Amino acid sequence: MTVTETIRDRLQAAFAPHALDVVDDSERHRGHAGYQDGGESHFNVRIRAAAFEGQSRIARHRAVHDALGKDLVSRIHALSLDIDS
Amino acid sequence: MTETTDIAAQIQDTISANDVVLYMKGTKSMPQCGFSSRVAGVLNYMGVDFADVNVLADEGIRQGIKDFSDWPTVPQLYVKGEFVGGCDIITEMTLSGELDTLFDSKGVSYDKDAANKIREANG
Repeated sequence: MTVTETIRDRLQAAFAPHALDVVDDSERHRGHAGYQDGGESHFNVRIRAAAFEGQSRIARHRAVHDALGKDLVSRIHALSLDIDS
Repeated sequence: MTETTDIAAQIQDTISANDVVLYMKGTKSMPQCGFSSRVAGVLNYMGVDFADVNVLADEGIRQGIKDFSDWPTVPQLYVKGEFVGGCDIITEMTLSGELDTLFDSKGVSYDKDAANKIREANG
């Protein structure tokens, strides 16, 4: 399973989002710090789920970090999150 | 005292002694990562007086700040000792005006016109 698929699966399972986009943005960072051959280093995630209703920005991000898991989060060089209910 | 608590104490000292602190890769005059550069750029443009801590210069702080904040990425912004967020959150708060509100409520001075210019350019 690719990292993109893993991210999507874990977020889907944790939040049952009504919108979810996971984009591997690694190519745009070719040559920058953290880039690795084969990509899967930089991701943009856009997620919309009722679960985030009423949560602070920090709480939303922490919930996503927790759902992805420490191993995965530390393996990804950059994770850009756009989270809303 | 263990090394870990030393580092936590050092971070606590830094965020207590400075109203605004940015933990970043590189320095505010020479950022070494696009995300750190974006946040430092916003603060510089808004004329905010802030302390920068280059995590690349200290491996202990680089891991220590992640543990301290329970936040896996850098940059990290602290205002008056409180963790505000990373690049995504600061960007969103800049564009929504929440960062202005935070600075107002904490008594941190900044250039309101510059903040408005950022919003006009990205509106």
